[in-house]
Amino acid sequence: MKKYPAVIGATLAGLAGVLTFHTKGTSGSLSASLGTTQTGSAATKQTRGSQPSTTPSTSIASKAGGSTSQAQSSQAQSSPAQSSQATVAPPTTANSGPRSAVGAAAQYGYGVISVRVTVSGNKITDISVANLQTAESYSQQLANQVIPMLRNEILKAQSLHVYGISGATYTSDAYAQSVQSALTKLHFA
Amino acid sequence: MTVRSAGEVRFSHDEEVMGTVVSFRILSYRCADQVLLEALGEVCAFLHYVDDTFSTWKPASPISRLRRNEVAISDVPAEIPTVLTLCEEARSISGGWFDPWAMPGGVDPTGLVKGWAIEQSAGLLSDAGVDAAILNGGGDIAVIGAPEGSSYWPVGIQHPWRSDALACSLAVEAAVATSGSYERGLHLLDPRNALPSRQVASATVTGPSLAICDALATALAVGGDAVWERIVGLAGVEAYMIRPDGTEVASDGIIVVG
Repeated sequence: MKKYPAVIGATLAGLAGVLTFHTKGTSGSLSASLGTTQTGSAATKQTRGSQPSTTPSTSIASKAGGSTSQAQSSQAQSSPAQSSQATVAPPTTANSGPRSAVGAAAQYGYGVISVRVTVSGNKITDISVANLQTAESYSQQLANQVIPMLRNEILKAQSLHVYGISGATYTSDAYAQSVQSALTKLHFA
Repeated sequence: MTVRSAGEVRFSHDEEVMGTVVSFRILSYRCADQVLLEALGEVCAFLHYVDDTFSTWKPASPISRLRRNEVAISDVPAEIPTVLTLCEEARSISGGWFDPWAMPGGVDPTGLVKGWAIEQSAGLLSDAGVDAAILNGGGDIAVIGAPEGSSYWPVGIQHPWRSDALACSLAVEAAVATSGSYERGLHLLDPRNALPSRQVASATVTGPSLAICDALATALAVGGDAVWERIVGLAGVEAYMIRPDGTEVASDGIIVVG
């Protein structure tokens, strides 16, 4: 119908929305308090009869906090084998010049992905796949189709138009997570 | 990087659970930080508990045992009968197009339980003092309040064939769920014959309850035009669908936002 082309024109991948969301810093009123409250993390308590082994690995990631440990722990706790270290290079003192980091490996329903994000100044200049593992070839094929599109969207979209995506893909979520953790490691806000 | 509405997200968390990621974006809350953290912890523990209870992929889960008739309904956690009651309601109002009892392998509330869990989570956070937040579990979205200066949340609807595009953006005041066979192939079964359905490319339902929206989105994805009038006739429920030929239909109350 008539709105179709217009709407597609207004395209903004979810991902990009989700991403820019995270990377926006706040005034920092929360960051101080977070440093102290985060330790006992939120989610070690269990309200119901779930097994101890299912204790959720929650690390509250506040953008305001901006500490590297947030991004690392959020993935590392849930999948130690897949965690990746921040490889921030080259170290810079100023918020300029290209810098890159590999995001934590993020699991999705059908595989694991981690990405390398390069930023320059206040702009994401590139995103590449550092590692991609899928259970079956169909998922691999799917991921190979989806990932370049996600990359383009992130590079293209520098502003937030939606708060979330309904029907967003599993791949997109994992990709966004890994990108986000790379950005956090870069203190990119 | 710029955000259209500056500095809005005060708190962000992503929890991997139920085969997907549930993201929490909290814009405002009136409780102490510690209270918020504890509430989030409880919510995440709840989501894992729901996963353990309702996963049909886990052979030892209560729902799996119920499906194998190893336990009676009176011996499973109370959440199961609660969810099954909602399933009955959804089956009824969808005219049978959502039918967890028609699935192979015994009763399967999977099409409603994720929405239910996220809806419950939003309720818990609201009770704890969260005033404005959006919870997104793999596309099932429940919101609390609204962004400052707005009465709704703009939510993008994934384009069924283009991963790099949104089909549209809708105004959401409570909950929205989208169902379709575009990413994972034909996983939706027609309750009439338990065969894969390809009636609709993408089916979106908004309404007051995410549990019901989730089930109705599944019903719409399976029933398409045959169930459209019934769904959009429900009080407080709006729908949007994209047919396999690319044509779209939106109910009168759907507000498409730019």
